[in-house]
Amino acid sequence: MNYAFRKMLFAATVAISSAPNIASADGVSISIAVAENPQQLDPMRSANAPDILLHGQLYARLLHRDSTGALSPGLAESWTISEDGKTYVFTLRDAVFADGSPITAEDVVFSLDRTLNHPESAYPAPLSAIESLEAKDAKTVSIALKSPNAPFLGNLEVFNASIVSKTDVEARGEEEAFAKPLSSGAFMVDSWDRNSSIQLVKNPKYYRDGAPNLDSIEYRIVEDANTRVSLLKAGEVNAVEGVPYANIAELRDAGFEVPLEASTKTQIILMNHDNPPFDDVRVRQAAVMALDRVAIAKAVTQGLVTEVANSSLPGALNFHSQDDAALPYDPAQAKALLEDAGAVGAEVTIIQVSGSQVSQQIALLTQALWSQVGLNAKIEQLDSAAFRTRRKTERDDWHAAPAWYYNETLDPDLAVRWAVCGTCGSNAFHTGYRNETVDTLTEEALSETDVAKRAELYAEIQQISTNEVVHIPLYYPPFTNAYASDVEGLFMTPAFQWTLEEAKRK
Amino acid sequence: MIIQLIVDRLKQLIPALLGVALVTFLLVHLIPGDPVALLAGDRASPETIAAVKTRYGLDQPIVVQLFYYLKNIAMGDLGQSLRFRIPVTELILQHLWPTALLMIMTILITIPCAIILAALAASHQDRPLDHAIRAFSVAGIAIPVFWIGIVLARIFSVQLGWFPVAGFGEGLWDNVYHLVLPSITLAIGIVPVLARNLRASLLEMMEADFVTAARSKGVPESYIFKRHVFMNALIPNLQLFGVIVAFLFGGTIVVEKVFAIPGIGQLLISSILGRDYYVVLGLTFFFAVFTMLVMLIVDLVSMLIDPRLRS
Repeated sequence: MNYAFRKMLFAATVAISSAPNIASADGVSISIAVAENPQQLDPMRSANAPDILLHGQLYARLLHRDSTGALSPGLAESWTISEDGKTYVFTLRDAVFADGSPITAEDVVFSLDRTLNHPESAYPAPLSAIESLEAKDAKTVSIALKSPNAPFLGNLEVFNASIVSKTDVEARGEEEAFAKPLSSGAFMVDSWDRNSSIQLVKNPKYYRDGAPNLDSIEYRIVEDANTRVSLLKAGEVNAVEGVPYANIAELRDAGFEVPLEASTKTQIILMNHDNPPFDDVRVRQAAVMALDRVAIAKAVTQGLVTEVANSSLPGALNFHSQDDAALPYDPAQAKALLEDAGAVGAEVTIIQVSGSQVSQQIALLTQALWSQVGLNAKIEQLDSAAFRTRRKTERDDWHAAPAWYYNETLDPDLAVRWAVCGTCGSNAFHTGYRNETVDTLTEEALSETDVAKRAELYAEIQQISTNEVVHIPLYYPPFTNAYASDVEGLFMTPAFQWTLEEAKRK
Repeated sequence: MIIQLIVDRLKQLIPALLGVALVTFLLVHLIPGDPVALLAGDRASPETIAAVKTRYGLDQPIVVQLFYYLKNIAMGDLGQSLRFRIPVTELILQHLWPTALLMIMTILITIPCAIILAALAASHQDRPLDHAIRAFSVAGIAIPVFWIGIVLARIFSVQLGWFPVAGFGEGLWDNVYHLVLPSITLAIGIVPVLARNLRASLLEMMEADFVTAARSKGVPESYIFKRHVFMNALIPNLQLFGVIVAFLFGGTIVVEKVFAIPGIGQLLISSILGRDYYVVLGLTFFFAVFTMLVMLIVDLVSMLIDPRLRS
């Protein structure tokens, strides 16, 4: 009926307007409405979520992770690891870029070196174990590590270990080359209307036989969550990223899939350990015990998440210990701890990103619950640019901040370095937390090759940092993406990548 | 006379633009937040951020940056987008058409609606039709634009499937099709303002001495209305219309967000949030020129209608 009406309405322009948008591209296509605006297609220049999602589609890596999360050979067909675990030699398969030029060892060295050593590289951490890179011949890359590194192969699969063409980047110059990049991955950029949409088309030269199934992907940037939901309901897109919790029931009732994929995200409240009162571990513990975290999780997620986070590290990671180290809800004990620390009636500032409903709800509930044990919080809303600057550099002007973080692989090393380690360049996710045992254990766990022993080390890190309240873990949020019933095999992996290579239309 | 007006306006334009450039430059640099920290992502080290800043010249003292900025705009270069690494002019041009079409369509809907409603209300003064139109006017002014947009989209796009939910489409007719609901949304906000004002002017003119004089001489009612009442009532409303067109930009920002239209309103908001300095400056510049042009056109049209202004 809709279709008929459109035809009637615009009979004179049938060819242009009558066909639904999603069928207009040639072949099989999927249209996804995403919330955030991709800005950088250069994998080295950004670690922002919307950019990462695209890097994963545009570039191949030495290793490949399929939709089950299993690691398999990617551009590297095979590899050998030296006895001491410090030298990796990769043999490349016969793969080509989208223009047909071969992907060589030179390209691999160039790409990894850019991410690792370029002064403007946004996030060199995943490759920081590398001591040197060498192209032995056109098909052989030798990588020397500073020390044995357990998660190294997995790290060669993350978004910024993407392989780009040396010849192309040098010939066209960075700006040109990444405005319309030469693809080594499953898809390539067909057109990019900034702030509006990105059209990806299948890379016919992609090395994996039979992949991808789709011929094209339309990536629509739609900032307004209500509009994204409406687009899906009207059949203008096949999938939507970031559905507000409040709309999930409505979409499920209308027959859409909202699988709530497990993520490596953790929803937390950051605390600033540099200043009183949260420099005192007793006050931090009181701050946790004052919070009914189950109630907060349920309220914020409209009852969809009922379990609280058991520790300071994401629950989906390998080696995650199930022991509940987080302190229980106990307002009486919280009051006692505050009195003990002489912090009753302390004034604190919660900073919060404006426009985020989740952050706002968490801030308000925290304020209310803290006030009951004698912690007086005021809430300050900042836009995300001001929020980040405040959090990082204006350390005297905030005490707590609702936030979340995720990990790009399932190995816990990077998460530990980001969120709890004090000597890893992240200032323990801007908290200023410092525990020498945790810092030492972080390095020990990295080079420990025995899996059981590694698990023990991470359990210890988890135990210590949770008990000392590096930040307040609230809950492990799932991805809230919604899919039309004619889409098959599309979901988001815990490590924040779409499975577009495997996705199909029914 | 007309040429003199244009020359005078152009003379005013230069100091006005300089003022706009200065004020916005200082404002965008004074609001807290760092474009580079946003761009590279939260995990970028201070060293990385410093390196990127150096490349963009953002490490220079603000006075030096201002000097280079003014020098560049004097040479017609609005600079580069920090976020997308393409020239600001190119970015603005890419986003101009959706907004321009949205405004054109809104104006095309607004003018006849406002005139018809005002004429009906004035000719039925204090009768039920007049009251109904005035009630509609109050409602149109009072209801927020974004809410109207969401409701229209829910009814006509999601429920009935008559129009696309959001976006801009490809090709002129598809563009127009996509902008039907957004322009109606915007028009609902401004028709009442114009209609109310025009109604008041019409009523005033209908009782003016020259109208009574014309009537007493037996001039036909329809001629009186067209020639004396309507034309005279139009003059003050033309000025209001000019202000509303300039003001419409504010409305497009909201509507473009609700309907995901890739126009300059959206670009402005995302550039402010992303601290994309030169895009914000370039757009402000553009708005200033646009507003002055609209005012100039309004004055020229007023002169055409009103012989008194020509002498």
